[in-house]
Amino acid sequence: MPTSSIDWPAVRAAAPFRLAMPRTPIGGRVGERLGSGTGSSLEFQDYRPYAPGDDLRHVDWAAYARSELLAVRLYREEVAPRIDLVLDISRSMAVTEQKLRAYGELSGLLACACTSTVADTRIITTSAVQPQPLHVPEDIERVLVCDAGLSALEEVHLPFRRRSLRVVVSDFLFPHDADVLVSRLARDSALLTIVQLTLREEAEPVVEGARRLVDVEDRGELDMVIDEGAIRDYRARFSRLRLGLSRAARRAGARFAHVVAGTPIRSVARELAAAGILESC
Amino acid sequence: MIFTTPLGLLALLAIPAIVAIHLFRRRFPVRPVAGLFLWQILRQTPEGGGRIARLPITTSLILECLAALALALILAGARLSSAGVSQHLVVLLDDSASMAAVNARGESARDRAVRRVLREVDRLGAGARVTLVLSGDRPSVLSGPAAFAVEARRALATWKPEASHHSLALGIRLARELAGRTGTLMVMSDVPPGAGGESGALWVSVGEPLANVGITAAQRTLSPEDGRGAVSLTLANHSDSPARRRVSVSAGDKNVLARDLELPPGVSSLTLPLPPGLPPVHVAFSDDALLRDNDVVLAEPRPHVVGIENHLREGRGSQALIKALGALSGVTQAEPGHLVFADAGDLDRSQSPGAWRVGFGRAPAAWLAKGEPRDFIGPFVLEKRHPLLLGMTLDGVVWAGAMPLAAGAVRPLVSAGDQVLIGMPALTAARTRTEPEILFNLDLDRTNLIRSPDWPILISNLIEMRRQSLPGPERWNYRVGEWVRVRLARDPKSPLRFRCGAVERALPAGRELEFIAPSPGGLLQVLEGDEMLFELGVNFLDEYETNLRHQATADAGELADVAGLRVESGPASDPLFWLLLTIGGSAIVVNWCLLPQGSKRA
Repeated sequence: MPTSSIDWPAVRAAAPFRLAMPRTPIGGRVGERLGSGTGSSLEFQDYRPYAPGDDLRHVDWAAYARSELLAVRLYREEVAPRIDLVLDISRSMAVTEQKLRAYGELSGLLACACTSTVADTRIITTSAVQPQPLHVPEDIERVLVCDAGLSALEEVHLPFRRRSLRVVVSDFLFPHDADVLVSRLARDSALLTIVQLTLREEAEPVVEGARRLVDVEDRGELDMVIDEGAIRDYRARFSRLRLGLSRAARRAGARFAHVVAGTPIRSVARELAAAGILESC
Repeated sequence: MIFTTPLGLLALLAIPAIVAIHLFRRRFPVRPVAGLFLWQILRQTPEGGGRIARLPITTSLILECLAALALALILAGARLSSAGVSQHLVVLLDDSASMAAVNARGESARDRAVRRVLREVDRLGAGARVTLVLSGDRPSVLSGPAAFAVEARRALATWKPEASHHSLALGIRLARELAGRTGTLMVMSDVPPGAGGESGALWVSVGEPLANVGITAAQRTLSPEDGRGAVSLTLANHSDSPARRRVSVSAGDKNVLARDLELPPGVSSLTLPLPPGLPPVHVAFSDDALLRDNDVVLAEPRPHVVGIENHLREGRGSQALIKALGALSGVTQAEPGHLVFADAGDLDRSQSPGAWRVGFGRAPAAWLAKGEPRDFIGPFVLEKRHPLLLGMTLDGVVWAGAMPLAAGAVRPLVSAGDQVLIGMPALTAARTRTEPEILFNLDLDRTNLIRSPDWPILISNLIEMRRQSLPGPERWNYRVGEWVRVRLARDPKSPLRFRCGAVERALPAGRELEFIAPSPGGLLQVLEGDEMLFELGVNFLDEYETNLRHQATADAGELADVAGLRVESGPASDPLFWLLLTIGGSAIVVNWCLLPQGSKRA
């Protein structure tokens, strides 16, 4: 059963980051982030007529003096954001040791970022299992067992929370319609972040000659000769897939980053920060 | 293990074929990929290949070979044990009507035969096979060959013996053929076997001597002179004492007469007067042991009257002809007639249709050869099989005035040397008449033929020949099994058939109909479409079957000790079949489930 052994010291060294928050208000429990609703922060939001039961401390007496109308001052709420970290635990994420290791490091980096953010974070791997809370970054090691025959992203109903920040990590190497997939992931979210992780040879294969290609998920087989023509065709298709994801993410207001396995984790962190996914603590 | 169809083992060739496929299948280095769909529409390499490598013993190979082996064994009819052996009993049932004669308790020989057969079948067990053969002039198989006991029971229940007297020899021969070397033969009859019995068979006589009165011959006549009808019966009283019986005659729903009779032992005759014009009458005697011979149906005959035209010149010959015709019944002077007597010289002239012409004297000039007329005293060569010459000898006859005839002009019936004396003109392109003509190359005024015994025979034969060719049935009342011959006046316009009780059969289209009077008899109707053409009587009338005094009860011989019949109950009877089927099916299903998705799609 492929599991990731994460080099935590290296990950922590590369992770003085937290998840970047959206500029728009978000939903969540009471916390330290401005929410979309009315609450008890110091930031004024609006007036409304007084109604019996309102806190008298919020009555604007000055306004009453001017207009003889009782009005209550409303303030923005302060919330702790909800984060849904979606990890693809299909076998394709462990197609090679290198990819599995890179996936572990990337997940560890994002777990560190989530825990650095005062947030209610849960890990979603499939609709069949209850989401796991993420208290410390090491919690992801419990779920990072890549042996599923199907990516969680291919499931129609994932247990997302409303107005949550969603971080999705996958190689996205399964047949899909990018617009449909991204809009489904982004529905009712505060912010969607998509991180695609692939091997270099998955993005840019080289001539290998005759090979029997075996799909690690559905065990499908295909005998073919990987030559220049096949490489050219494959790269075109892979580029269309990645470009489709990128465009769909842009249309949905999501953030997208493509990470190539084998890239040092520190560089990965910088790439994610450059993409607006992480921000310095 | 045995194989019922060893040729099926050829299917084992599938195993080396599977191994060869696995051996020669192209095997590329395996590369696991995460997104096969990105490669799939690219150029694929055909799966066949020629690289020989060490045979990989894969699960798929094992399962495929296992499935091929199992299916080959099924095809070869593999069995764990040899076919079962069942006792095969072949029973010849005497189908003669006397088997249906009942005793005072109302029990017939047929009932006793059925009981005995069932007892024998029960003794042989549930797996026994039974063949029932019905005796007769044309023996038939009632059940089987080698039917299950339950089928034989059903067939026995339907058995109704009603055939006329016949020899059992043909039935025994058929039964022996069906029994072969594996079956035992049992004969069920109401009479004992002949001297010496029937070797290798058990002959069971289940008869019982009974007194019986029956009709053994019946005739319905219609006097052409006074038009009065009558029914003549021949009755046989097979008992030692006179028997009182009541006879009744009915026509349709109408009772014509009824009379009480006392019949002496032996054969007696009875004539009952009938008014003319009655439809077919039913003559019935009161019940006794055998019902089958107690009644008859008789249709009123309508005699064929032959119309005669006599155009012969006055003289000895003409007088002799008139005298001979006067001695025959069913002949009348008519014009146009069915039969025309004329000078032979007129034979080449046209004649009214439907008339047969008989010419005496000098033939037409076109048929003659050069020469003078000659007289002959024999020897005469006669076409004996021709109906015109039946019973004729021409002994002592002086054949006078025979003219030499051209070769091929006349087909000879009687000749002397190369001279044709009686003949039928040959058809040529110029002569296309279809009605027969007969040439008597004879000077009637000089010959002594007209004074010889052959003359009335010749004229009678001539009249009967013509009478036979007239439309209508040859006779009006028949025995069961006799040939019925009917000639129609014209070609049928609708399908022809006959109906006799429950028996109804189609007849071939044509003007001359021939068929066998069906059993059990009764009123037989010849139909053209829905139109009834003729009504004929078909009756049992079997003197031998009427006599029930020679019936006996005895067993003779014994059932042969034979190996029994090897029976195949089909593949389902052998557990190996189901085992192989399960193994083969499971191997196929498991192999399919184990096959990679890509291979299934391919």
